[in-house]
Amino acid sequence: MTPLTSKVCVVGDFAVGKTSVVERFVTNHFSEEYLSTVGVKIDTKEIDFPTLGMTHKLVIWDVAGTEEFGAREMAYLRGASGYIYVADGTRAATLKAIERLHKQILEAYGAAPGVLLVNKRDLEPDWEVSDERFDAIATRFGNAYRTSAKTGDDVDQAITRLAELIIDNDMRGG
Amino acid sequence: MDLPPKVVSYLQDEFLEEARPFCFLIDGDYRLVDSWGQSDWCGLSGIRPAVDMREPAPFLVGMPISAVQKFEFIEMPGRAIVTMHVIPDNGQCYVVLLDARREHASIQSKQQSVNELRLMHGRQHKLIARQRDLISELVEAKSELDHHRREAERISANKSRFIAMMSHEFRTPLASIINYAELAGESGTSSNEIQKSIETISRSAMHLTSLVEAVLDDASLDAGQVELLEHDFEIVGLLNDMAAMMAPMAAEKGLSFAAYADPDVPKTVYADEVRLRQILINLLGNAVKFTVEGGVKLTATYNDGRLVVTVSDTGPGISIEDQERVFQAFERGRGRAETGAGLGLTITLRLVELMRGEVSLDSMPGEGCTVSVHIPVMAAEEGSTSSVPVLPLPGEETIAAMPLSVLICDDDEDMVTLVEHYLHRSGYGLITSSDSSEAIAKTLKFDPDLVLMDCNVPGVGGVVAARVLREQGYSKPIVALTASKLSDEQKSAFTRFFRKPASMQKLLTEIKRLTH
Repeated sequence: MTPLTSKVCVVGDFAVGKTSVVERFVTNHFSEEYLSTVGVKIDTKEIDFPTLGMTHKLVIWDVAGTEEFGAREMAYLRGASGYIYVADGTRAATLKAIERLHKQILEAYGAAPGVLLVNKRDLEPDWEVSDERFDAIATRFGNAYRTSAKTGDDVDQAITRLAELIIDNDMRGG
Repeated sequence: MDLPPKVVSYLQDEFLEEARPFCFLIDGDYRLVDSWGQSDWCGLSGIRPAVDMREPAPFLVGMPISAVQKFEFIEMPGRAIVTMHVIPDNGQCYVVLLDARREHASIQSKQQSVNELRLMHGRQHKLIARQRDLISELVEAKSELDHHRREAERISANKSRFIAMMSHEFRTPLASIINYAELAGESGTSSNEIQKSIETISRSAMHLTSLVEAVLDDASLDAGQVELLEHDFEIVGLLNDMAAMMAPMAAEKGLSFAAYADPDVPKTVYADEVRLRQILINLLGNAVKFTVEGGVKLTATYNDGRLVVTVSDTGPGISIEDQERVFQAFERGRGRAETGAGLGLTITLRLVELMRGEVSLDSMPGEGCTVSVHIPVMAAEEGSTSSVPVLPLPGEETIAAMPLSVLICDDDEDMVTLVEHYLHRSGYGLITSSDSSEAIAKTLKFDPDLVLMDCNVPGVGGVVAARVLREQGYSKPIVALTASKLSDEQKSAFTRFFRKPASMQKLLTEIKRLTH
């Protein structure tokens, strides 16, 4: 199979579940313990696309949570082929953070494939993001999912979708 | 001052021990050219020249190597934490990895505390907001409960007042009936006194009946048991009836009475005649009752599909504060001297609302009172209007040409005797039956001018008998005279409905009207 390796960055406010999403995707595990990320964590996972006859290896940069990037975080993003934006559905303000981070990325590095994960869907009683709000932001991002790193709901689907988008972009010479 | 070599050497040893630097040189294709230092701690041991370093060191994927760069705190897949320096040099690039575990651990611990505090703060905010919402909901619920409690207390107080008042209201006519009956029965009472006693007993019994009817009506409306029974009828006929009924009562008190229908009022409308009649009796009855001098006026207009019936009087008027109360059950807003259940306006308001209409009241103390009822009604015949002023015609009623016959179906012999007495006196021929099935046969055989039917009688029963008669082609009036309570649907089987005890005078007047 033709190999393709891409750097993708996971970004979002603190404690939205970025590391948990990556852990669910890479190892299919989930930990209830909250351990804040400092700097960046690197992980890799290969996804097979048999219909395309290729394997896509994602080098995932799980960037420390922030509502606004500083110089250190901006350096981490350099050379990324795609972005996984993560917000917390039980904290509507984290969607605002996503909008700010998205804007900073666009200004610094231009448009790139991205998916939005509104995470913690398992905590439905505390859910703060109305369907209208979700639909509005989903329209802007194009690919948005209500995910749960805890149950695994839609995590694989979202990141696999990003891998497809990167392949599409790569084929178009993006 | 230059540092002495001994100090420099010491610091170098310290740095090398602390940072454990590992340095490798790669070409423009990320292939290893050379390396220096310990590599086992960062998971890069065993790398050989010419290997693509993006394989063992995936963090190099996508990384431009054309500029000096520094990346702090990179946690590698093997969990080593490094600070990476990228230093390009003539198409090649030096990559220096320094062990950053200790500094990372220190920052992580602080960052963890800060983030946990921020999360806790956020949760507290949420909890406080929820508590605020809960408190608001509780305050709202309490206020609603208070409102319901006050309303329940008010209703309870009204009911208590009503019972006390009813006790008085019922006892007064009952006392008259008992006392005058005793007087009439005593030996030595003159025939004149007996006649007066009977008149008083009759008046008191009628008063009692009206009290009971008002209470029962109110209870039916309370229970939502009243349904409208709409049909086409002549509105002017109804207004004429009202005038004929009220003008003598007004005249008895020395009051003038006038009634007018606007030319725009349709001749025939589609509405519940019985309920509209009840509303007008309530309003006109009140107006006559409360007015001491002057007069009472009834007017009807029609505009935009709405019939507006207005009753004005020159009575004492109602103060602003009493105007809302008079529509509440058991309230009597115009003083204490008047009699009645205090339900008339409540029933009126409820009936008008049932008809999807409104009641308006315009009054000032000492300036009389005007009550208007606005009811949406359909004109049954477009353009067919009447400009005839409605006027009372006391004494103008004519006796029907004889011989006219009435079939009475009732299993109560006393009632048959009583009705016979009145009808005979008015010149009617009578056919009697105590069984409804037999009454059907007799009606079809003798074709009387009117059938007077009890409902709870042997045979098929009065309601079924009336329907069978209609099916068999009997088209003359069938009047119900019964103690039973009938639904609106059952009432529709009859031309008119009288509930026992009924005034024989009224019954006779209606029979005369229907047979002429």
